[in-house]
Amino acid sequence: MSDALRPWPDTVDWHPVSAKLTTLKRLQLLGNLIIPAAATAAVWFVWHWGWVFLIFGVIAAGVLIRVGTVGRSVRSWGYAEREQDLLVRHGLVRRHLSIVPYARMQFVDVSAGPLERMFGLATVQLHTAAAASDARVPGLDPAEAARLRDRLTTLGEIGKEGL
Amino acid sequence: MTDLPRRRLHPLSPFLHSARQLVAVVAVVSWQGYSQLGLEKFAIGVVVVLLGAVAISVVAWRYTGYEITGRELRIHEGTFSRRTRAIPLERLQSVEVVRPLLAQLTGLAELRLEVVGGGKAEAPLAYLTVGEAQDLRKHLLELANARGDAAAEQPSAEQVLYETRDDELLLSQSLSPEVIYLPIGVALIGLQFVTNGSFGFVAVASTVTALIGAILRPVRRITRDWRCRLTIADDRLHIRRGLTETRSQVVPVQRVQAVTITWPLLWRMKRWVRVNLDIAAHGAEGAKDEEKHMGTTLLPVAVTEQARAVVPWCLPRPAPDRLAAVDIAALPLTGVPDRAKWVVPLARTVLAAGATEHVFATVDGVLTRRLRLVPYARIQSVRVEQGWLQQRLGLATVHVDLAGAPSASAPERDVHEAYALAWELTERARAARALTAPERP
Repeated sequence: MSDALRPWPDTVDWHPVSAKLTTLKRLQLLGNLIIPAAATAAVWFVWHWGWVFLIFGVIAAGVLIRVGTVGRSVRSWGYAEREQDLLVRHGLVRRHLSIVPYARMQFVDVSAGPLERMFGLATVQLHTAAAASDARVPGLDPAEAARLRDRLTTLGEIGKEGL
Repeated sequence: MTDLPRRRLHPLSPFLHSARQLVAVVAVVSWQGYSQLGLEKFAIGVVVVLLGAVAISVVAWRYTGYEITGRELRIHEGTFSRRTRAIPLERLQSVEVVRPLLAQLTGLAELRLEVVGGGKAEAPLAYLTVGEAQDLRKHLLELANARGDAAAEQPSAEQVLYETRDDELLLSQSLSPEVIYLPIGVALIGLQFVTNGSFGFVAVASTVTALIGAILRPVRRITRDWRCRLTIADDRLHIRRGLTETRSQVVPVQRVQAVTITWPLLWRMKRWVRVNLDIAAHGAEGAKDEEKHMGTTLLPVAVTEQARAVVPWCLPRPAPDRLAAVDIAALPLTGVPDRAKWVVPLARTVLAAGATEHVFATVDGVLTRRLRLVPYARIQSVRVEQGWLQQRLGLATVHVDLAGAPSASAPERDVHEAYALAWELTERARAARALTAPERP
């Protein structure tokens, strides 16, 4: 109970997500720079306004700071399968911990975007009848994602019930 | 007994569906026609239009119908574009008998079915005779709740839990902020007259519009909640209310996701409260805006003692012969630590929460105080969130997620307490689920 980010260390076995997710997130962040860069270049070629570089510099600095810290934020992700429920935690600036009982599961999504597929990663998301439930685990190895999905659906079947 | 062969809706249904357009058409025709054609030709014209309407209605009526097959209710409707809607009965949340003005005049009723999940929340079955609607509602609810021994139970007598007093409803609605601001609005117009010597047209027009808006809301609430009567039979709450449109709604207690008790500021001197229920389907499209956030009104206005007596009936029973011992005036809740004042300076003394024996309860709201009660068996998932400032102060917020209803939150708890609370809630929710699970098919 001492570390607020990792509650119940004695009973809960937290799994980290793949470290490859860090690289992926970094690429995504840098990808966000493409449009501002293009806009800056366009403005420079058309009007020759020097100060656009200043704006771009500020945006780029912000992105670079995020690129630097994204490793820590990826390491903050973790999930744990307990006997009756799935635990997911993430976030540094704003910390989240979700406890979702398998019995409440409506369906499970396994998704992988083009970039995620390139890195061999997948995202598992558990849905309950409550829209606010938040149990998404990104950056899983496809085999691990499939295993988690199968386990979740099996456990969900056992505890199947109405609302 | 489960299946019901296909039956037609009431022959007047297509007529009532298109009544408004029909009246408009007749009105237009008569206005134009009477002046140009003279009485004789006009009468012929009206007869032709009416015959046409009747013909279309007959065609439409021949197709209308509803049937119950297996675990589904099917509703067929439409004149030119036909529609069949199938509603799985186990998803049925509540069934409401609604009687709009026109239906009241013709002795008919509409059956509104609320289904969990999906955008199509309301499936109207319009129109049936009142008796037929009530029978079908009973039948549907029996099917929706049918499981093993339930059918063997004797239907127990209805017990009246609450009735609105007319004077209380009128006074309570006139104590709403909209009405209180009314004199200020009138005074503003007067002030304008005194300073300018004349009424500015735009100013007066906009003020009058605002005033009408201000009066309309309480009036709408009064007509909606008029003579509200709450009864219970077989763990089903039955709410009847309305002046121009009588609504009669049945809510099985097991569908209640949360109970919200509200103490508006202006009602405190009278010790009045409002009690709302969150039901899984109500958040969906089709519910009125107000209901989207507040759920179904259970008690429009009641003295705190009345609410104390009614609330346990809306919660799942710990044992078949015993009600949940929940006293809204004396719940063992704990406040938030003193350091929470840096985050919520005004609400610090108000906020409270606790995992009591039967429900998870939270209190918030500085001016309008709100107490939410969540039965443990309805908890979908539990979350703990900690923002940046909360991390510095060692605070955290616990959310309890519900199906089709806003989450219940216990904000600004001490972080260790928050995790302990989350743990306790998951344990209690599991225990409550285990208790109710074997009853479900």
